[in-house]
Amino acid sequence: MRDNTKGGALTEVTFFILLALYTPKHGYAIMQFIEKETKGRLLLGAGTLYGALNTLQEKGWIVPCGASDGRKKEYQITEDGKAVARTELERLHSLVITAERIIGGKYE
Amino acid sequence: MSKKYYRFFGGLLQKQEEWLNKMAEQGYRLIRVDKMMYEFEECNPDRAEYRVEYIGSKFQNDSQEYFQFLEDMGYRVFFKNINLNYSIGKVRYRPWAEKGGRIATNNTAFNKELLIVEKEKDGKPFELHTSFEDKIQYYESLRKPYAMYFVVFLLIGVLTKIPLFSLLGLIPLVPVLIYHHQVRALKKEVMSKEW
Repeated sequence: MRDNTKGGALTEVTFFILLALYTPKHGYAIMQFIEKETKGRLLLGAGTLYGALNTLQEKGWIVPCGASDGRKKEYQITEDGKAVARTELERLHSLVITAERIIGGKYE
Repeated sequence: MSKKYYRFFGGLLQKQEEWLNKMAEQGYRLIRVDKMMYEFEECNPDRAEYRVEYIGSKFQNDSQEYFQFLEDMGYRVFFKNINLNYSIGKVRYRPWAEKGGRIATNNTAFNKELLIVEKEKDGKPFELHTSFEDKIQYYESLRKPYAMYFVVFLLIGVLTKIPLFSLLGLIPLVPVLIYHHQVRALKKEVMSKEW
């Protein structure tokens, strides 16, 4: 995945997956979460989600969790993942402040 | 009442997908596949939708895991062979695959190079790959094995000085160019569009 970790910018998909996993979820629930939160604007293909979950695991930002007793595999965000998400929130926040100053208006 | 059809599509993934979708439109839903056989049962027309996905470059555990992941997503998934091969105990070397998936045997990834994924229609689009980066990676994984065949045939042709081999190399060159074109078009799109 093309996340620019140095500058802090995450792709939208990555950020949404991290947010989804503050509570443990399996693949289908992640997809539903993203669809609901973006009101259907961001539809994620299963293959793309699978690839993204693997990449995020390799980065150590999420881990599989829960017993694998035939139930669907769930994932959860790690402390590292939370730190990355926090940094991204701050980056976006400062971006919004700049944008509001220039474009004007407060976005609710 | 189930119906059996015998078809062989080889590397023509798009054709296979179109055919399955046409069957679904007419009210046939896949229940079983074999080397060349597709078994359907009757269902409401236009209820199911199919995608055919190449997974031949995936590591064996990974393709099993991917299969499970898709099933958990609520899809019905079938493993399918891309080539015809009836020999038993055969080992195949696949230098283009991921590490650990390079040697395929009958028990592992061999004859399971494709996935047929079925989704019940719900009005939403059915795409397995939605991000540019992921699509590029997917088409590159399709291009690789054909590129390998092309190079091998070309080399044999040059080394043995028998032009026939080099000419045979032109056959895999066709899919190489098709997938190459798709990869390039996507890369161009990435430049002009933000993800």
